Amino acid sequence: MATTAPRIDADELQEAQVEQLTENEQLATINADYDERYGFHDAENYLYKAPKGINREIVEKISEFKSEPQWMRDFRLKALEYFFAKPQPTWGSPMLQEVDYDDIHYFVRASERAERSWDDVPEDVKNTFDRLGIPEAERKFLSGVGAQYESEVVYHQINQELVAKGVIFTDMDTALREHEELVREYFATIIPPNDNKLAALNSSVWSGGSFVYVPKGVHVEMPLQAYFRINTESMGQFERTLIIADEGSYVHYVEGCTAPTYSSASLHSAVVELIAKPGARIRYTTVQNWSANVFNLVTKRAVAYEDATVEWVDCNLGSKLTMKYPSVYLLGERAHGEILSIAFAGRGQHQDAGGKIIHVAPNTTSNIFAKSISKDGGRGSYRGLLEIAKGAHGSRSKVVCDALLLDETSRSDTYPTIRISEDDVNVGHEATVSKVGEDQLFYLMSHGIPEDEASKLIVNGFIEPITKELPMEYAVEMNRLIELQMEGSIG
Amino acid sequence: MAELTAVAAGPLAGGLPTFKGRPGWEFTDISALDVSAYELMPAAPAALGTPTPSGSSLWELPASELPDGVSVRFEDETTVVSVGAGTVLAAPLALNVIVPEGRLYNQRTRVVLEEGAQAEVWEQLLSDGDCLLNLSTELVLGDGASLRYVCGQGLAEQAWIFGAQHATVGRDARLDWVALGFGSRSGHVLMQTRLTGEGAEARVTGAYATHGGQHIDFDTTQEHAAANTTSDLAFRGVLTDRSSAVWKGNIIVDPGAQKTDAFQDSRNLLLSKRAHADSIPGLEIQANDVRCTHAAAVAQVDPEQLFYLRAHGMPEADAKRLVIEGFLAALVERFEPGPVREILGAALERRLQLILG
Repeated sequence: MATTAPRIDADELQEAQVEQLTENEQLATINADYDERYGFHDAENYLYKAPKGINREIVEKISEFKSEPQWMRDFRLKALEYFFAKPQPTWGSPMLQEVDYDDIHYFVRASERAERSWDDVPEDVKNTFDRLGIPEAERKFLSGVGAQYESEVVYHQINQELVAKGVIFTDMDTALREHEELVREYFATIIPPNDNKLAALNSSVWSGGSFVYVPKGVHVEMPLQAYFRINTESMGQFERTLIIADEGSYVHYVEGCTAPTYSSASLHSAVVELIAKPGARIRYTTVQNWSANVFNLVTKRAVAYEDATVEWVDCNLGSKLTMKYPSVYLLGERAHGEILSIAFAGRGQHQDAGGKIIHVAPNTTSNIFAKSISKDGGRGSYRGLLEIAKGAHGSRSKVVCDALLLDETSRSDTYPTIRISEDDVNVGHEATVSKVGEDQLFYLMSHGIPEDEASKLIVNGFIEPITKELPMEYAVEMNRLIELQMEGSIG
Repeated sequence: MAELTAVAAGPLAGGLPTFKGRPGWEFTDISALDVSAYELMPAAPAALGTPTPSGSSLWELPASELPDGVSVRFEDETTVVSVGAGTVLAAPLALNVIVPEGRLYNQRTRVVLEEGAQAEVWEQLLSDGDCLLNLSTELVLGDGASLRYVCGQGLAEQAWIFGAQHATVGRDARLDWVALGFGSRSGHVLMQTRLTGEGAEARVTGAYATHGGQHIDFDTTQEHAAANTTSDLAFRGVLTDRSSAVWKGNIIVDPGAQKTDAFQDSRNLLLSKRAHADSIPGLEIQANDVRCTHAAAVAQVDPEQLFYLRAHGMPEADAKRLVIEGFLAALVERFEPGPVREILGAALERRLQLILG
């Protein structure tokens, strides 16, 4: 070592090592007890279970079951044509070719309606949500809860004070019945049915999901929550969510999901559309923890008008393959977009996550922070787009991606596309992939990098800028990952 | 058809790609390219030393004396530069290619350095006017070899360029690769570096400065195929008028390539509202004990720097020019003081003079 290298403080180093080991131990426990906590399944006492496969008859049957207006039925059938016409995408992950659309149940009805009291929910189903801690969280931390079991929402409730203020929070099927004009005005305006093959599939067989409308100036102080549960084998869940935050309003929507562990594959393909009107703010948090036999192929997109803010907090822990890139179109001047993407890829998993921000209006701003951790042969990929379109002058954006590889059999990819068509902008991107090793600090220092600089490198890599923790039991892993990154940083 | 057959051996193998849809060609529209409009020119050895280019030369280098152990041959339609084991070439070796107007030309270059050899090869690509240059370059560095390869592209601004350039770097060998993209109307150039031996190191430096309707497309790969390898890539571009640039860069760390240290940095300075830049960095990592970092930025001339200079009495145009020169100087400063730094600095300065007027 060069004589100019700094003296190593043995105590500090040891402390750092101890901390690293603790983190590794913590990471080893993530989802280690999945089967016990989430992987169980209930007996099936279903009102209806569609045979496997997708065709016109199934789509018509879903529409009939729901007694939908003709325009929605036509929409579904048109979308089905797009689904059949579009080839399976070839980018993203080789696992995508394993999806067998013929081996999926496209509609399963577990109960008559979305109940407003847990006592009216079928016993088995209620027990499941009890085990997942949903009613308890509802009492303590939430303004409203929706619980979807298989294809439909079985429970839905909202704080009555919010109802008095004109807030609508209901399942999408009910919204179509009770607020048809509002739904019709906004439905599929952000993600058209021919957007991509999976969005086309969702558009044709969608069922369940949430509809949220927050009137002008109303702040929903505590989060609204939806929990999605798959129970049966080879299930396809296709929820459809639409959130409209009117001028100057605020809402935080949280969703969680789990499923039993089966050997055959299930498919979850949601479409989520967010509309933040001038001055509004929407925060959308996802704690995705599907079992390792679920293909999770989701399209999420938001538009933000003048002075509006949209934040996606997207945490992917579970599933076999996730392909999901929440996006924000900044359509109004001074709109702001924020994406925090956290991914954990364990054995047999590929998390292909990320985010997209498209600056369309002038003086818009955005940040993307992405963290991924791969272990036991898992693959974590960040795939992103940052685009400044013509006319979006004065825009600013920052993209920071960090990845950890915990062993030599795992893989990390980073694909952050940047497209700029304006000169009066400021865009930066940084990404770092490194190992969390007990010797990281020592390694850098032994290569002659001064201690403070070495610490800075590690801090830059792992410090997590802003996250708000959610106290729900099912969010504990996400919180631990956020914590981990804070602890992993030095200085 | 003869043209198409000739082209088929290069990066256009398999026919012309269409805009969008095929990986690698999403951002470069070549639908206006009519290959049959160009007459195929028979391959010829690249000229050694200083020719009298009718186009504007990027640099002037005298023909160097070839010491024992160094040869420049023409075989299989390829200009082959060989430097024998332990041989040190003291002065840079200059290869000059000038494509006449209306021609399709396949330039193939192969530079082979045997164990412990040291050399500097400068390849200059010029044209008299509209042409189609199809470039194929292979750099092979044996164990402990050291090569600086400077490829300056100053084709006429109606010309098309397609390039496939590939380097393999052996154990403890060091490659210093410089690419200048000044000319051409459009095209696509692949620059791939593969570090195949432990201790191998590659430094890749790219600069482009475009104006009018020019479009530049660089696609780089830094592949770490062995442990303890280092790569450091830096690209900087200055874009004016409605010109555009694409830089797509991938760092690939193969399984087992532990202690890899890889870096890439792409920066663009947009000087006009209609200029456009795409940066597509990528990391694919399959070893865990590595450090891989990339950064990309697109910005305008920093108004604070401008303000500072103007406050000190400098006219706006001069202040702007100084900031732009400073932006490119960071690249030039990657090289040791001496001829290479001076020549590159002067080439960039002449180019800026041209595009900024």
